[in-house]
Amino acid sequence: MEVVLYDGAFLRERDWTRYARWSNSLMRLHLQFGFGMMEHSKELVKDWRGGQVILSPRDLTDDQLDRLASSIRSLAGGSVLLDPQFYLPHADHDRLREHEYWPATYSTGSFFGGPALSTLIGQLTLLNGRLQTRGFILPGLHADRVTSEWLETQRLVLEEARAQAGDRPLFQTIALSDVASRNTADITSLIEHCADNVADGYYVVVEHPGGDYLVDDPNWLANIVDLCAAFKLQGSSVILGYCNQQMLIAALAKVDAVASGTWMNVRSFPPEKFKAATEDDMKQRATWYYCPQTMSEYKVPFLDIAQRQGLLQDMYPLTPIVLPKIEDLFAGGQPSTIGLTEQVAFRHYLHCLRAQAAAMHQSTFDATADEYRLLLDNAESLIARLNRVGVRGQMRDFARVIDSNRAAVEVLIADRGPILRRRWGSL
Amino acid sequence: MVQIPGGAQKAVFSAMHQTDGEVVIKVFQPGTDAETVSREILAVQNINSARIPRIFETGTVPTPAGDCAWVREQRISGESLHSRLQRAGPLSKDEVLKLAHQLAATLRDAEAAKIVHRDIKPENIMVDSTGDFWLVDFGIARHLTMRSLTADARIFGKFTPGYAPPEQARNVKGQIDSRADMFAFALTLIEAATGVHPFWDGAKDAMEALTRSETQPIPRQLLPVKSAESLADLLDTMTKKRRDQRCRNMQEVLDWIEDIVTEEQKP
Repeated sequence: MEVVLYDGAFLRERDWTRYARWSNSLMRLHLQFGFGMMEHSKELVKDWRGGQVILSPRDLTDDQLDRLASSIRSLAGGSVLLDPQFYLPHADHDRLREHEYWPATYSTGSFFGGPALSTLIGQLTLLNGRLQTRGFILPGLHADRVTSEWLETQRLVLEEARAQAGDRPLFQTIALSDVASRNTADITSLIEHCADNVADGYYVVVEHPGGDYLVDDPNWLANIVDLCAAFKLQGSSVILGYCNQQMLIAALAKVDAVASGTWMNVRSFPPEKFKAATEDDMKQRATWYYCPQTMSEYKVPFLDIAQRQGLLQDMYPLTPIVLPKIEDLFAGGQPSTIGLTEQVAFRHYLHCLRAQAAAMHQSTFDATADEYRLLLDNAESLIARLNRVGVRGQMRDFARVIDSNRAAVEVLIADRGPILRRRWGSL
Repeated sequence: MVQIPGGAQKAVFSAMHQTDGEVVIKVFQPGTDAETVSREILAVQNINSARIPRIFETGTVPTPAGDCAWVREQRISGESLHSRLQRAGPLSKDEVLKLAHQLAATLRDAEAAKIVHRDIKPENIMVDSTGDFWLVDFGIARHLTMRSLTADARIFGKFTPGYAPPEQARNVKGQIDSRADMFAFALTLIEAATGVHPFWDGAKDAMEALTRSETQPIPRQLLPVKSAESLADLLDTMTKKRRDQRCRNMQEVLDWIEDIVTEEQKP
């Protein structure tokens, strides 16, 4: 097995050859910027020799936006998008309010029907131009339900952006509550609306029911995948924001990119983050090791148990880039003595997720579905073996959501399988 | 002039015209809503399609019971697909593919004219003496650019149970477009190919057929063509209950059918 030094990380040439199949059709991982991600973003884009960072005005001042965008763009293959985070404008989040584009006053009733919307789009057009973004993520309100009023705001935003934004591709934000995203009628009416008001792309962010990190609700998941597939079949690009490993399923909808980051609040969409101006609660907590084969995360002491029970090597990440510190976990010493830091764990997670995302798209829809089913089957099998000897991922254990994911796959196949099968190559 | 079977609202006669050849003359009953008649005529005139009988002339004739509108149009010598199926059973593979291709092209043309036929079924398809298929009877066609003539508040719209998609049966006017015809087209194809209508087969009445059409997927249709899986996928897609899950438009259906036909013609 060959080990090659690769920009500070180790690239393992493994017999898992599908990882070598980099092409334009792969599902990409974008970096969802969040608290403490400045260095991670730069280093990861450097390691990957390219990548897209979705900038977060909530976590960056105007000046920082400029500097980070410039740094990322200066890296080979680096590019940025800007999420304007206009989800809950009435909440007047302190740090968002400091940005030039943020309106001084806001009232839903008058905002979208008057010059204020035009001003907002104008300001964001300028900002996107200054940051040289690869596309224009449009401001979009968080929808408790998909109502005709909300759909009208979406239409007005798209219309205004078309008038002002020039050639930059427009990504309409679709920000849905857990209630809206669980409601199939809401999703259907959203798809119908967008069929008549097609954007170049969609930036989809969806609240997790109950705030759960991994969601055990097959209908919620089926609806999201259905929505993404519908957008793709309409001819638009799709970026699914605020994702964790559960959203690898989006590959079956031929989603262009999933976005994820370090802390849990950028791996699932928490609307409350855009409400109060509370400080991020990021004090030291447990460090979690992501095992891509099980799609689960484990606290480091559970790696000790895995080692004692003879299963640690089965948790070794079968991905192209394995960080030295991660190698150390499997080098024979007791894992908890290695001193795995949160920062390494984060970066490891993102390396793995990127590799997994890239490996998902196959040449046909059926092959992609089979690949994903295999991923679930293999995860289930290894999780069962680990659980039997006491190694558990607790609330980050994928076992409890595997059946939801399986159900969502089958629903997609039943609902849109034939058309995805036919058009897969052109999506 | 010879009277031939017609619809509930009109008498139909066949005749020979000195320049247009064989024609049919449809005479609408007195009191038939003039706007309805004019919409039917307009639908045919607006669709530029090779497989819809041409209208040569229209007019009204006074009768003691009131004015009767009439239409003189091209006569298709043959029988309805319904009669053909009753008489000789399911179509052959080549006939099914021909029906699929010709009707898809006709409905693509209707879609371009923003007209929805709303009553695609074997009774409204004629098979001529050369085996070509013609779409007839635009009596309940919907002009998407014109105000609807039927009440929006009715629970059920104008439709034939078992053929109409849920949005048409439920009279959701804003959702009726060419994808409604797509749904009925697929069921017509299945019936023509197998002799069995998936929603009517074994149904005790129209309500059961309607309920099935709104709730049950069609069984997978593996017909004896080279691209059997692809054709089954197409029929499955065309008959989705949610129109957003069907093909986007009739051109997409036509392209799909052409691929299947091309594959079939390969040695």
